[in-house]
Amino acid sequence: MADPKGFMTTERLTPERRPVDVRIQDWREVYEPQSFEQLQRQAGRCMDCGIPFCHSGCPLGNLIPEWNDLIFRGDTHEAINRLHATNNFPEFTGRLCPAPCETACVIGINREAVTIKQVELRTIEEAFATGEVKPLAPDRISGKTIAVIGSGPAGLAAAQQLTRAGHTVAVYERAEKIGGLLRYGIPEFKMEKHILDRRLDQMEKEGTRFRPGVDVGGELTGFALRKKYDAIVLAIGSTNWRDLALPGRDLKGVYQAMEFLPWGNKQALGEIENPPINVKDKDVVILGGGDTGADCLGTSIRQGAASITQLEIMPRPSDERPDSQPWPTYPMIYRVSSAHEEQDNRIFSVSTEEFLGDEDGNLRAIKIVETEFIEGKFQSIPGTEREIKADFVFLALGFTGPERSPLLDQLEVQVDERGNIKRDANFAANEDGVFVAGDAGRGQSLIVWAIAEGRSAASAVDRYLTGDTQLPSPIETTTRQLMV
Amino acid sequence: MLLNNLRDRIVVQADGQLKTGRDVVIAALLGAEEYGFATAPLVVSGCIMMRVCHLDTCPVGVATQNPELRARFTGKPEFVETFFEYIAEEVREILAALGFKSLLDAIGHVEYLETRAAVDHWKASGLDLSPLLLRPDVESALHNTSQQDHGLDAALDNQLIALSQPALLNAELVRIDLPIRNVNRTVGTMLGAEITRAYGGQGLADSTIDITLRGSAGQSLGAFIPAGLTLRLFGDSNDYVGKGISGGRVIVRPDSSSTFESHENVIAGNVIGYGATSGEIMIRGIVGERFCVRNSGATAVAEGIGDHGCEYMTGGTVVVLGKTGRNFAAGMSGGRAFVLDIEAANVNTDMVDILAVPDDQREILKAIITNFARHTESKTAQQLLLDWETSINRISLIMPRDYARVLEAMARATREGLPVDALVMEVAANG
Repeated sequence: MADPKGFMTTERLTPERRPVDVRIQDWREVYEPQSFEQLQRQAGRCMDCGIPFCHSGCPLGNLIPEWNDLIFRGDTHEAINRLHATNNFPEFTGRLCPAPCETACVIGINREAVTIKQVELRTIEEAFATGEVKPLAPDRISGKTIAVIGSGPAGLAAAQQLTRAGHTVAVYERAEKIGGLLRYGIPEFKMEKHILDRRLDQMEKEGTRFRPGVDVGGELTGFALRKKYDAIVLAIGSTNWRDLALPGRDLKGVYQAMEFLPWGNKQALGEIENPPINVKDKDVVILGGGDTGADCLGTSIRQGAASITQLEIMPRPSDERPDSQPWPTYPMIYRVSSAHEEQDNRIFSVSTEEFLGDEDGNLRAIKIVETEFIEGKFQSIPGTEREIKADFVFLALGFTGPERSPLLDQLEVQVDERGNIKRDANFAANEDGVFVAGDAGRGQSLIVWAIAEGRSAASAVDRYLTGDTQLPSPIETTTRQLMV
Repeated sequence: MLLNNLRDRIVVQADGQLKTGRDVVIAALLGAEEYGFATAPLVVSGCIMMRVCHLDTCPVGVATQNPELRARFTGKPEFVETFFEYIAEEVREILAALGFKSLLDAIGHVEYLETRAAVDHWKASGLDLSPLLLRPDVESALHNTSQQDHGLDAALDNQLIALSQPALLNAELVRIDLPIRNVNRTVGTMLGAEITRAYGGQGLADSTIDITLRGSAGQSLGAFIPAGLTLRLFGDSNDYVGKGISGGRVIVRPDSSSTFESHENVIAGNVIGYGATSGEIMIRGIVGERFCVRNSGATAVAEGIGDHGCEYMTGGTVVVLGKTGRNFAAGMSGGRAFVLDIEAANVNTDMVDILAVPDDQREILKAIITNFARHTESKTAQQLLLDWETSINRISLIMPRDYARVLEAMARATREGLPVDALVMEVAANG
């Protein structure tokens, strides 16, 4: 155990964020460095519980009490080994995960949880800094070939696991660079892209082949894939965005979040000077109060929007965990992300009625109405309609499943009633040799679930190809976050 | 037991992972009539199975003495009550489904169990469960119907109680002199209960009832006896002398005609003074293992002891005027022990220090040894007292380290007028 009394003697302390007025001038990550000694004391708050609920909070099965203890004792070498044992990409999860491990932390029953995510992040960053993250190329090559379609966290995790197991893996990506949502969805201020490149570099040296800019289903058909590879892993994500079919949806200025965010990232990296969607000095309205909405918010702030309003149909959540969502569940509470700390103009319990445009077909405002949740439905309150001036509206309303690309038809895989690709308990689609990992099979989810999916699917593929496997399988296809 | 017609004489208790009414009924059908629940009601009260009960750091305040952590306890008795109501409800439903009118009717009816899944389970492979699942064809009851005869009518204490009536009724002095044999067990205990019944926890004035016994005492001489009762045995005794003694006095000394050197011969058995809370145990001679284990307040003297003396002791005073066995003072967290000519290698020093007797404790020690000499005519004690200034340097004090620090904190708090609890907690926290 780390420090038996650490949770009594030390308060939870996360790293400071950089001052708002400084950080919105750039696109870099928002956190100040934290001293290693302070982090060790934080790790020492871990109680090494008899029943560590953090294990069940995290689908990866991260060995949290173990590496908390190792960091507390200063054994960074063994800590990264234990961390990498369950998580291919702790530098991603340490930055991007909403940390269901922390909401399941046993201290959280009556005090503040251990800063698990911070310990994780520091562990991997120390390892990179000291050159401990080395390519782990396989000793033997199996001669089996696998195509992973999609290069988000699920695809990358599956690819790394399978490469290390000795298979020859090619990762296909239709965008010009590898990374999926990690590269194009996550803004630079949440994760700088050299973090991603650093890991891709390791993977390449291990032998994973990257094939960006290839439209699988178009120029490279499913039939060709089947011929060329022994197995195919579909990790194409859940990219079908939820839309809002209201009058005025076609007006110029109404965009999906994922039409906006990739340009922001290119701008942040200096790849383009002036993005096609640029909200500088414009009035912005963001529909949707989730993480994607917050990403639009932070990006708009950095582009220099004149005003930004974020709308959410749900009522404002409580600051504290509500009784209906007890520990150790992941609760809906009022969260203040780094972007909200920079500028927070959230309006809750409102619904959009109409997009209003000028005579040239440009958006000028949106009409909203206050709502009330009555008899299981959101109902508009008459007389509360109003307009908000808007040059841009970004829809951050969630995703409804994988795109119905020609690839799915070419591979003859079936989808379920929710639009996700159908698969059995072995992550296998209805067609032999085709596997499904990540949001494409599960529906939109968190990055930890994506990595866990990638690892489990890799295990299933390895078993399919060789008859047996040593690869771990942290979750089943039906495993879900604990809810009440 | 059924085949030998013994089942009706005992009560069978089942426990281990009982959590539901179904578990209770299965245990009953297998033949149990009592059901032990521990973990489940503990969890109902807020336990999260941290498994740190021994560290005093229970974060939900269930198993800790720390007031700050205890404040975090959120359990209510009603939770446990409700839990068991559910258990009882489920038991009732299952019994009804099986056609039993009461739980008692179900006990031992193993033929009602559907056992195939359990017998075929891979974990049961290699196990022959058939003896457990056998229902012997007998007429006798499948559960406890008769009480055990403890033979209390024949206990020596009945005589002692009769002779002690003046003390029990009017607190008058009573002097008794009787022979004793080793079939007489727990002598003095029933009399002690009568004293407590009549006079409450404080008992009677010292030695109001003074009983001299001659012979060999059976087990548990003077167990639990309260203040006001003195048992003086001339002879020897079996194990457990003065077990749980709570204010009384037990003296064991050799028979007056004995020619043995008392300090070289064993006079009483093992585990003397187990869990004693107050009172005096004086034994002229050597005793067995685990002397004064879990003593929390009594004063005990012997002329030599076996292994594991003072184990888990939390309070009181022990004086050993002779050799100790090995592992002395293991897990001793409170109280103190004085040992003559100590062999340091025999002391388990995980929790205690071996010290010279400090000035402020010399008089107390002298008083204890003087008292011992007076009651037992111990030659060892008499010789030590003859040249006390030399003797005191042969005696060592065995003191628990943390206990010493707590005592020091309490003394400081009294001296400086500070809150005692706060200072003690500070010492505990920095321990």
